[in-house]
Amino acid sequence: MLLKIKQEWLPLAAWFILALPPMQRFLEQSMVTHMLVQIPMLIIIGWMIGKTLPAEWKAKIAPWNRWGITGMALTIVIMAYWMLPRSLDGAVSEWYFEVLKFITLPVMGIALNLSWPLLNSIARGVLMLEFWATLMRLGWLYLDLPDRLCANYLLSDQRILGQLLLLGGSAYAISWTLRIMFGTKIIKA
Amino acid sequence: MSSTAASRKIEYSDSENRNALIAVKAHLIGGLLVFLLMMLAGFAMRAAQGTWLEIAVDLFYQIMTVHGVGVVGAAGIASTGVLWYFLRQYVRLSNTIFWVNFCIFLTGVVMILGSIFLGGYGGAWTFLYPLPAISMGAWSTGAAAVFQLGLLVIGTGFLILYLDIGRAILAGYGSLAAALGLPQLFGKVPVDNTHPPTVVAGTMVLIVNFLGIAAGAVVLVMGLVNLYNPEFQPDALLMKNLIYFFGHVFINATIYASVTAVYELLPRYTGRPWKTSKVFYAAWFAIVFMVMAVYPHHLMMDFPMPQWMLVMGQILSFGSGIPVLVVTGYGALMIVYRSGIQWSTTTKLLFLSMFGWAAGVIPAILDAMVTINRVFHNTMWVPGHFHFYLLLGLLPMIIGFTYHLAGEGRQKEVKATDNVGFYAYLIGGFLTSMVFLASGASSVPRRWAVHMDEWVTFAQVGTVAAALVVLGTLLFILRALISLPRAADPS
Ligand code: HEM
Ligand SMILES: [Cu+2]
Repeated sequence: MLLKIKQEWLPLAAWFILALPPMQRFLEQSMVTHMLVQIPMLIIIGWMIGKTLPAEWKAKIAPWNRWGITGMALTIVIMAYWMLPRSLDGAVSEWYFEVLKFITLPVMGIALNLSWPLLNSIARGVLMLEFWATLMRLGWLYLDLPDRLCANYLLSDQRILGQLLLLGGSAYAISWTLRIMFGTKIIKA
Repeated sequence: MSSTAASRKIEYSDSENRNALIAVKAHLIGGLLVFLLMMLAGFAMRAAQGTWLEIAVDLFYQIMTVHGVGVVGAAGIASTGVLWYFLRQYVRLSNTIFWVNFCIFLTGVVMILGSIFLGGYGGAWTFLYPLPAISMGAWSTGAAAVFQLGLLVIGTGFLILYLDIGRAILAGYGSLAAALGLPQLFGKVPVDNTHPPTVVAGTMVLIVNFLGIAAGAVVLVMGLVNLYNPEFQPDALLMKNLIYFFGHVFINATIYASVTAVYELLPRYTGRPWKTSKVFYAAWFAIVFMVMAVYPHHLMMDFPMPQWMLVMGQILSFGSGIPVLVVTGYGALMIVYRSGIQWSTTTKLLFLSMFGWAAGVIPAILDAMVTINRVFHNTMWVPGHFHFYLLLGLLPMIIGFTYHLAGEGRQKEVKATDNVGFYAYLIGGFLTSMVFLASGASSVPRRWAVHMDEWVTFAQVGTVAAALVVLGTLLFILRALISLPRAADPS
């Protein structure tokens, strides 16, 4: 019993740790950790909350989320919003942007968790591809654009982020290839 | 999953089968009509180069653009129809997705036509960066953008279709490697001669086209960003690499998709099965990599390219095409040899395709040699080699399949019109390609709207040849339009 409670509180605890000012400062001082650590963590927290949501809640949400379309639409809107350089800048300099970020990203994680399994397999494939293409396109843009996109971050930060996005995209492509070519799974899901 | 499960045919309901047949016919008729229109465009270009027809220069480049993108699109959609028709017998494919791709394709076609003829885009189907952005007033940024968006839309449709094909193959065979026959090739499981060649070919097409279109989706968006945000200037050579990777793979894959018609139909007309073997698997496995790695033969004159890539491009170009070609050509000969086959236009076309493909590869290989490319780069030699295997290799596969569906293959006698069509097409297609090659050998450049006086004779002979091709194709298409819509499934 004790263990079960612990598991459910884990995401909330993680959320609080991320929200602690020193932690928040630390992760947001560079574009790389902001985009590749803090934001994904917030989404994963949401995903875990979604997993532990009580069954009655899920049953209540389900009619509003047929085939996972509503949830996916919400996910895409939130994700697109936080990919805008303006939003990231806002989160660093304005407190209300920051609050918005700490709420919407976990919500996105929850929506993703509830909707992904309901989604048609072809739609899932299209979204995964689009996600991959986004990694590559953004990575390329960050590498080649002559200007800084975020007023709060250095150009060199942007370049490193670009390289990491390209690396991440390539790793994603390779793992996907291995799985469908030979049925090998690198991460057991 | 092993042999028994795999070679079992998939059962569909009658209404599903009827709907699928209509869909396949729509793909073929749509593709063939576009081919015919684009041949007329080709005829017009040749006549203009031969001074028999006056076309404004900007219109010439619009026609050249629509010709290039039109035939590539038609080849894509028609060959998909061929592959899908056969593949659905072995893995459960969705009619809905097949139609979805068709409709998305038509949407993209409308966008592209608009960008060319309303927007004046004439930067060739290869949309080579940074040309779309620097038209010097010939077309607007919007026109170039709509053209690339149209391609992006079409690519997305194909990706959706490939996702369905991939899902179906994974469901039926567990992994793409198994569908390609790799466990059999490497001795993990005993060789199963009844493993369908169509599944092997379909898997290869799926893999390479998926990657090709994915690269295309990235490069098209980067081009679009550049159009609207000119200060973003991606590396031009990287863009060129991706574009040619995408373009080379996509057009090549149409042949590998259509060749399933040879694997499936020659056995039906000769009563001898097409047996898969280790050699067959090895050839198709090799081609998966070769088709993707040979594209640097388009970049031989780009000296900053890493040398190893050009070396690879040259060496693999020698070998690319050959494995499958040999396996298929030899297999086809063995099946037909002394089989007492009754020659119909269907089987003649399928057999012709083997010749056209094999012979067309020779000038292609020549051009992929650095020393020769130094002279032939961007000359008419290039259109020469690809018109050869597209006109005499790819199209005969597609038209042959259409004739089969129309029931021509089982008719007792070959109709006179079909005979005229066949020989007009054969002679015209051969001449068209040979004249291109001869012009290339005389260093006539490609993609020039206006030709110098010394070159005009070539173009005029080319025009006559083009007229023959158009005549043959017209007869084929009339026949298809008349008998295809009502024909029952012959299988
Ligand atoms: C009657 C038949 C045809 C004729 C007369 C014809 C003629 C032409 C001409 C004159 C060009 C431009 C050559 C230049 O660079 O100056 C061309 C380009 C091209 N053709 Fe054809 N063609 C025919 C059929 C086809 C078919 C069936 C295909 C493909 C299945 C095809 C694919 C292409 C491609 C990909 C280009 C390159 C366009 C570019 O350079 O951007 N053609 N053709
Ligand atoms: Cu090529």
